[in-house]
Amino acid sequence: MSSPSQSSPKAPASYARRFFDWLSGFGLATVLLLLLGILTWLATLEQRDSGLYATLNKYFDWKAPFILPEINGKTVPIPLPGGYWVCALLTVNLALGGVLRIRKGLKQIPNIISHSGIIILLIGGGVTHHFSERGNLAVGEGETSNVAEDYFEYVVEVAEILDNKPTAIHVIRGAQIEDLETSSRLFRFPNLPFDLEIGGYQENAQPIAATERAPENGELMADGYYLQSKPGEKNAEANTAGCYAKVVERDGTRSDPIILAGASFHPYTLRHGNRIFTLDMRKRLWVMPFDLTLNKFTAEFYPGTTRPKKFISQVTRTENGQKANATIQMNEPLRYEGLTFFQASYGPPGAGPGQKLYSVFEVVKNPADKWPEYSLWVVVVGLTLQFGLKLVLFIRSRFHHASHS
Amino acid sequence: MQATPERSLTGRWIAFGVVIALLIAVLALLARDMKPESTLRKIEGYRPWAKETVRLAETLPVQDGGRIKPFSTYAGFTMLRLYGSRSMKIDAPNPDKIKVSSKPFATLELAPTDWLLDCLFRPSLAVDFPSFRIDNSAVVEAVGITAGNKRDRYSYRDLEPARDKLMELGKSYEAIESAKRDTFQNQTIDLAYNVRLFESLIGYFGFARTGITMQGPEGQGARTTELSTVMQTAPIIRDVITKSQKETGKVPEHVQALLEQVLDASNFSKFGLFLLPPSDANSTAWLSAGNAIMEVMTQQSANPEESIADIKQLEATVQAIGSSEDEFRAQLGKLSTRLIGRAKQDNQYRAVELEASYYRADWFMNALKLYFLGTFLAIGMVMAAGKTSGKVFFWLCAVATASGFLVSVIAIVQRCIIMQRPPIGNLYDTIIFICTLVIALALFIEFLTRKRFALALAPLVGVGLVLLARKFEIGEAKDHMDPLVAVLNSNYWLTIHVITVTAGYAGGLLTAAISFVYVLLRGFGLDGGDRDLRRSLTKVTYGCVCLTLLLSLTGTVLGGIWANDSWGRFWGWDPKENGALMIVLWNLVILHARLGGYIKEWGLHFCSLFGSCVVAFSWWHVNFFNTGLHTYGFTNDKQTMLWVFYYIILAVIIFGIIVRAIEESNKRIASAASTSPDVPKVPELF
Repeated sequence: MSSPSQSSPKAPASYARRFFDWLSGFGLATVLLLLLGILTWLATLEQRDSGLYATLNKYFDWKAPFILPEINGKTVPIPLPGGYWVCALLTVNLALGGVLRIRKGLKQIPNIISHSGIIILLIGGGVTHHFSERGNLAVGEGETSNVAEDYFEYVVEVAEILDNKPTAIHVIRGAQIEDLETSSRLFRFPNLPFDLEIGGYQENAQPIAATERAPENGELMADGYYLQSKPGEKNAEANTAGCYAKVVERDGTRSDPIILAGASFHPYTLRHGNRIFTLDMRKRLWVMPFDLTLNKFTAEFYPGTTRPKKFISQVTRTENGQKANATIQMNEPLRYEGLTFFQASYGPPGAGPGQKLYSVFEVVKNPADKWPEYSLWVVVVGLTLQFGLKLVLFIRSRFHHASHS
Repeated sequence: MQATPERSLTGRWIAFGVVIALLIAVLALLARDMKPESTLRKIEGYRPWAKETVRLAETLPVQDGGRIKPFSTYAGFTMLRLYGSRSMKIDAPNPDKIKVSSKPFATLELAPTDWLLDCLFRPSLAVDFPSFRIDNSAVVEAVGITAGNKRDRYSYRDLEPARDKLMELGKSYEAIESAKRDTFQNQTIDLAYNVRLFESLIGYFGFARTGITMQGPEGQGARTTELSTVMQTAPIIRDVITKSQKETGKVPEHVQALLEQVLDASNFSKFGLFLLPPSDANSTAWLSAGNAIMEVMTQQSANPEESIADIKQLEATVQAIGSSEDEFRAQLGKLSTRLIGRAKQDNQYRAVELEASYYRADWFMNALKLYFLGTFLAIGMVMAAGKTSGKVFFWLCAVATASGFLVSVIAIVQRCIIMQRPPIGNLYDTIIFICTLVIALALFIEFLTRKRFALALAPLVGVGLVLLARKFEIGEAKDHMDPLVAVLNSNYWLTIHVITVTAGYAGGLLTAAISFVYVLLRGFGLDGGDRDLRRSLTKVTYGCVCLTLLLSLTGTVLGGIWANDSWGRFWGWDPKENGALMIVLWNLVILHARLGGYIKEWGLHFCSLFGSCVVAFSWWHVNFFNTGLHTYGFTNDKQTMLWVFYYIILAVIIFGIIVRAIEESNKRIASAASTSPDVPKVPELF
């Protein structure tokens, strides 16, 4: 960023120039940094009451251009810009002011370097926000899996059962149904003999039998059951989404509503002619390009305590018949083909000696996985040069001053 | 050459008063924490332990909190937990034989090892010690005991009549979800746990004092024998039981009675002190006396002979207390040789002696004394500025502060050697590290600027932070050298991330402290309008903002990279991470606002003062949220001090704003007065 414009007798700048100056100026940078600090502070306070996931969606999702903060559960009637857009504008401000418009010269090189590092960091944050996927994979000792389960995203899964196995699995993604709280949408399946109409989506809901408790808010009934809405859990992973579905025949006739719920233990079974299908609402599963076998899991505790010392999973990765052994433990994940496996937890809880254990890995796909590290080195080089130079100049001036006086 | 600026004498006295008031407040706080019970307890028949005995006991190895530590450390933290201090005063028979006739009782000070030796080996005396600190008299009143002061200390004998009720109440409160419990309920639960812990100590060697009463098969010939002797007959007892069960389907009555006594004895010595190294090479868990007894009796011991010999030696040590202290010491020496020898085989005794000497040296108390001394010398330095005595004070203050710094460094280095990890792993570590780093930076700034403000500040900050560390240690009563949980157990990351981010806190606090000095000096006219001094303070503040930014930003991003390796995400919006980010953002705001010309000298100092609130939020406040991965499980009743800090900073900022407004107003008046009146324009002649 350049110094503030100096007064000169020149003709007034054009609107475009003035807009550029504003967009790349110190004033905007200061305000954006301050706003980001305030948003971070408010989000830190709010996550105590609302939970982390809900707070992040509120403050830092790209769909949130403005937010109304809450302190101790009370809404503060001051709208603030959403964190995502503050970061986006800050990236533009940094690129224009801190790299493009900045006065060029040897002295400014460290400054440009550090600004470039922050730009990498911010863009990395954006890439992670839009393109990363996270899930968990639980696998028992001696068992193999190649499927990870998403932490938050509920999907509708339609599968045909052949030889007692689900085949031709069709998935309707969360993003396609999450907005259907008060409306419905038709999803066409050309390969299946029917389509589905989905509506009444709820982020956290529980199917209740009307004989057990009568609906209080005129909820839609489906085969004696209705979906009772629940407030979002603080720990968003514990939410169980639900929705209503209608089977739409090719002639356009619609069946009675069916409840699909994450809280249901079994999928809904649909007989269509001689064919059997299952309709299910569940957390999204994603298949990895290789298998992972857990050979051995070791949980070590400090002697005489329940304080964990080490969790070690010895695994074998199998891809196209090729096997490779690896160890995953705290602070030492396994990275392969864009996927990273972290030691997250293990079970069953309170397992006794000799009991078969399972290990839970957090599986992350993040194209910007290493960007923060690259940006760190860039920023550190820039800031060290910049501040180091200032310190040296300061020391020299002090000693110069001292020797003269 | 610039003339020496006129400095306000009134201002200097005000500043002196402020520092003295602060010191008095700090001392009062300290005294309040260390204050013994309202009246000293008279312990009839008490004899102090000989120094040699105490020294021998101090270095006995004990397994606790997942590591091997000296008996003295275990004693220290147990005493802190129960009594709230590492030193207990009692009135005991005067050990001075000459003065005993004129003064039969004298005040004795018990160190943790003395106290624990009494609990274990002389429980009949220990039950009268005021071992329980209770901060809220309502807790004892609730169980039907007549309370003393609101904060007072009680002996086990005081509490014993209400023991059952206390346990019942504690259990009922424990059923309430921890987040919903109030302070009173938590205090009741704590007291119930502390009473149980004390009971486990005083009853620990019960088996060695009472022995086992053996009945003959027909109820005749009852005799008392040692438990170790019974342990030797474990296989025979087992055979008798097996045979009798085969023949009659029952366990013989005299054997049943014997087993019940053994079970009781082992239960009493099952908890509290794990001082027997495992005889099984595959095991890392040490045994309590009770564990060893049960392992032998159930024939699960890998090396029963050794366990029996251990118990035999414990019995000999306990029984020797009845003869003489020399005899007791001799038996304790045998026990010590036995246990240390076994611990050394597995290199488990590595740092025990060093740790015992660390606590004996009480490094941070010595550092505190030096910082106190440095603070008084700094007052002298400020009061006698410009005089020869001022120079003397300057050098004495520098020596005292540098000595305090060296003592702190020695302590931190020793802790690293003992813990085998970098210096910071928990909140206590951060306090002592920040204290030491702030002193180092202040001394460096003094070396660069030679303006004395950094030197005057250093010991005062040292006093504040060492006292904070002591208060925190007493409040927590946890051994902060215990090993870290798996995810934190990485020396690489602890070194590069934790140290960097904590150094960022130190930078932020020092920046604010310098601005604090700036506002007070200028506000009270202590700088006499010395622009050079003001410029120096501002330059140093600016430099410290840069340093804080560099450290905080690097530390925060490193933390993100660590989190990415451990938990699979660079940023988890954990409150602690957010706090560190807020420090980074605030320092960036300061630098950009200054570069943009939105803040000048005053503005920079106000912002840097506010920065200390951001640091305090990140360092302390987020711990109260009980969310995230860096939580230390604080309770809300400890927040008061934090709010006091926020209000002090706010008050200083407001004071600065008022001073600035007055200065501006004076400047405007002076400028208006100096402007010459309008002179009518003289028409040009040519």
